[in-house]
Amino acid sequence: MKEKKKALSAYEELKQREFQKEAVPHINSLYNYALHLTMNPDDAEDLVQETYLKAYKFFDSFERGTNCKAWLFKILKNNYINKFRKNAREPGKVDYDLIKDFYHTIKDVQSDTTEAESDFFHSLLHEEVYQALQSLPEEFREVIQLCDMEGFTYEEIANMVESPIGTVRSRLYRGRKLLRAKLEEYARKHGYNTDTDE
Amino acid sequence: MNCNKATVLMSAAIDGELSAKETEELSEHLTECPQCRSEFQDAKNTKIIIRERIVRVKAPKNLVESIVRMTSVIG
Repeated sequence: MKEKKKALSAYEELKQREFQKEAVPHINSLYNYALHLTMNPDDAEDLVQETYLKAYKFFDSFERGTNCKAWLFKILKNNYINKFRKNAREPGKVDYDLIKDFYHTIKDVQSDTTEAESDFFHSLLHEEVYQALQSLPEEFREVIQLCDMEGFTYEEIANMVESPIGTVRSRLYRGRKLLRAKLEEYARKHGYNTDTDE
Repeated sequence: MNCNKATVLMSAAIDGELSAKETEELSEHLTECPQCRSEFQDAKNTKIIIRERIVRVKAPKNLVESIVRMTSVIG
């Protein structure tokens, strides 16, 4: 039995090394994406873990030279759909307070940029932007996250969300328009001048 | 090009996803329309603000460790 294990090891070792080099470095991005999808740290952890397990199992089918991060995101998204949508289980019983506390803790650790800018854009904090983003319909929120936060191309996003590139493009346009309106509304409430005239 | 069309194109322009023809048309419009220029700047800011202000968290240490362990054991 030990011999058999040893016989496998040359191939497995190579696979492991490649996987750790190609796939593991994207763990933070995947975790953030999972967190945004599930809004629950425990579910996010499970989702990332299952994604890596599946990705490792099917690593041979990963087309070398293509974007590994995009491949992993696609697996995670499919996992998310199977896990939460199919069972009609609410993604993680959205625990807003918990997620808020969670981000609060992180925000304290994060060094704040000390910009002298006083316009409303620069005055916005994580929480405001986060809330504005979360308030968008999922189809818009998702493409904004994938594009602006993760830096995927339209083609990669189209593949992930299984929609034509034109749809991605229009969702981004509409989503950003909505987001901007939310941010402006927020800023106005806090007394910032949102006039764009210079 | 009218302002409506320009506004639609701005979003993709920021992402570098316009065709050469669209890029040319948009920049032509921007040179002659100060309102759209200002809107274009706002659109750019919106993208920046999302990237900068949304806090990126690190995956928990135990998760990273378990994944490294997992990919070292299977087989």
